[in-house]
Amino acid sequence: MRWILAAALLSATPLHAGVPEALARIGKGYQTFAAATADLDTAAQASCEGLKPAFDTAWDAWLHVAQIRIGPVEDDGRALAIAFWPDPKALGAKAQRALLTGDPAALDPERFAEHSVAARGFSGLERLLFPDAALPADPCPLIRATTHDLARMAAGVNADWPAFSDKLAYPGGPGNTTYLTDLEAAQALLTQLASALEFTADQRLGRPMGTFDQPRPERAEARASGRSLRNVVEVLKASRDMALDLHPEAPQTEAAFARALALVDRLDDPTLGSVATAQGRLKVEILQNAIREARAAILSEIAPTLGVGLGFNALDGD
Amino acid sequence: MTTRRIFLAGLAAAAMPKPSWADAGTPAYLSAGKRGEGYVLHGLDENGSTLFALPLPARGHAAAAHPIRPEAVAFARRPGTYALVIDCRTGAGHHRLTPPDANQFNGHGAFTADGGLLMTSEVVAETSEGRIGLWDATSYTRIGEWSSGGIGPHEIRRMPSGALMVANGGIATDPRDRTKLNVPDMRPNLSLIGPDGALLDQAELAGLHQNSIRHLALVPGGVAFAMQWEGDPAGPVPQLGIWQPGNAPVLCPPGDAAMFAMQGYAGSIAATDTRIAITSPRGGVVMLFDTAGQPVATHRRADICGVAASGSGFLASDGSGALWHVTDAGLQPASSGGPQWDNHMVALAA
Repeated sequence: MRWILAAALLSATPLHAGVPEALARIGKGYQTFAAATADLDTAAQASCEGLKPAFDTAWDAWLHVAQIRIGPVEDDGRALAIAFWPDPKALGAKAQRALLTGDPAALDPERFAEHSVAARGFSGLERLLFPDAALPADPCPLIRATTHDLARMAAGVNADWPAFSDKLAYPGGPGNTTYLTDLEAAQALLTQLASALEFTADQRLGRPMGTFDQPRPERAEARASGRSLRNVVEVLKASRDMALDLHPEAPQTEAAFARALALVDRLDDPTLGSVATAQGRLKVEILQNAIREARAAILSEIAPTLGVGLGFNALDGD
Repeated sequence: MTTRRIFLAGLAAAAMPKPSWADAGTPAYLSAGKRGEGYVLHGLDENGSTLFALPLPARGHAAAAHPIRPEAVAFARRPGTYALVIDCRTGAGHHRLTPPDANQFNGHGAFTADGGLLMTSEVVAETSEGRIGLWDATSYTRIGEWSSGGIGPHEIRRMPSGALMVANGGIATDPRDRTKLNVPDMRPNLSLIGPDGALLDQAELAGLHQNSIRHLALVPGGVAFAMQWEGDPAGPVPQLGIWQPGNAPVLCPPGDAAMFAMQGYAGSIAATDTRIAITSPRGGVVMLFDTAGQPVATHRRADICGVAASGSGFLASDGSGALWHVTDAGLQPASSGGPQWDNHMVALAA
């Protein structure tokens, strides 16, 4: 009898103590992101010069929440518009060229929000602040339109988050058709982490790595602003923090992230240009593997304690 | 020696009407799933309530319903070694189909309209060359096979004309572990095959040869088809197309803001008179288009995949055991607590 009672008590305790902590971190992250993009916009409206510090702070703030691709960031394609990368067909640059040389009325805030997601956000701003060739017109009006649009989207995400956070915090509640059980809420957050690390390994590092015979350093994200490796670092830190929110006692996960971050420290290669050499590419490949191991550690160590895995159908591939 | 009792029983049986789908509770849908470590096939009513649940020997994928008899053929997940003919009144598996030695089932099949012939999507294991297996649908004996018109066929659908539409995915796979072998030069196609096995028409996608055509839904004059992108994930490509044989296929991209919502992967497709639905378990979305292929709505739900027409909307299933009513306005729960629903919901002919 005592055995049965103990089991019943255990199952009545909240299964996923880490979910509220993770949600609080995300909410705080969106506040910071909204504030940082508002600061960037204020600075840009005052002057289009000297924006790098505010630009960096805002992009860092985004990377701390960029792994979350559920909820208000997915409304109206916001996450895509905030950071449109990779863009192998240069859709963003093409759309921006039209905006730079076209009717200035296209930059009005209401109309700007309707332009291609590829032309907006940090990637668009980077092309204007750190152009790799002479721009066809004064970029300042487009810079201001872009920072304004970024701040608008960030404010929207921040304002909309609490309602969505409640859906995750109170799954199965009245009218909550998004998440039915606490397992689903935990699974949703875990899936975001796994996807973000996969994207960082496969795309942020994989694209410039190219193939052994043909590395493609020019394909690195945020190369023009010298942030390629920094973007990787910020994502790793944010992912580690959220993983440990979900399950604080995860030594393998913690060790895997520590190893990846230590490898980053030793790279000393802000734009990942070293992939052009065999030795440099090998070092980036070792980092790529370390990130994949961090993802694997989350799935092998944290997922089982939450009682969740990746999607049944999502993994099937048929 | 025939006793009187047996004689009477024989007479009674002869007088009985032939079994029909009504005897199985008239399910509206079939869906495979996983419960615990076991695999199952469920018959569902219009609202997604389970009418029967039958065990499967291994993970299922899709099913084909006999047009007249209350019989379903449940197909194994690719590479498939079994297809099980199930009496949906009793749950008894009364035939087990095994592909010829050199072949593997590919998860889908279809009956002819008169129910006389079962056609199965198959590959020659070593080469991934497509085959349509032909089975007598009374004795369930193998009676022959056709070429599918391409590599790696997946879903097949009987057209109202009686011809068979085949989605040849174009991907050659390792027969043991499904490793993809020819992604750089894969060539998917849609093949329309006549009742004698002759190729009547075929469509390829110009410039998008890495978009594997895998799933089909009937629309007026042709099929809507769902695709899975094997090229650069950064390249936004449509997951939906419409083909009316005799014309070029038409691709139907989503809106700008949703261009990556499916992560290049459509898992199932279904159509009503006014809408086409495609699902992505990877992106956790169901997208609705009008019949001209214009995007109408994008709804989100993790691991959503199975989808079938339901009245003027759809019923969709997810890997967490929930079923959803899908309309332009959004998702409404139909049921939850079911098995982890597998890729497809198969609508039974009304």
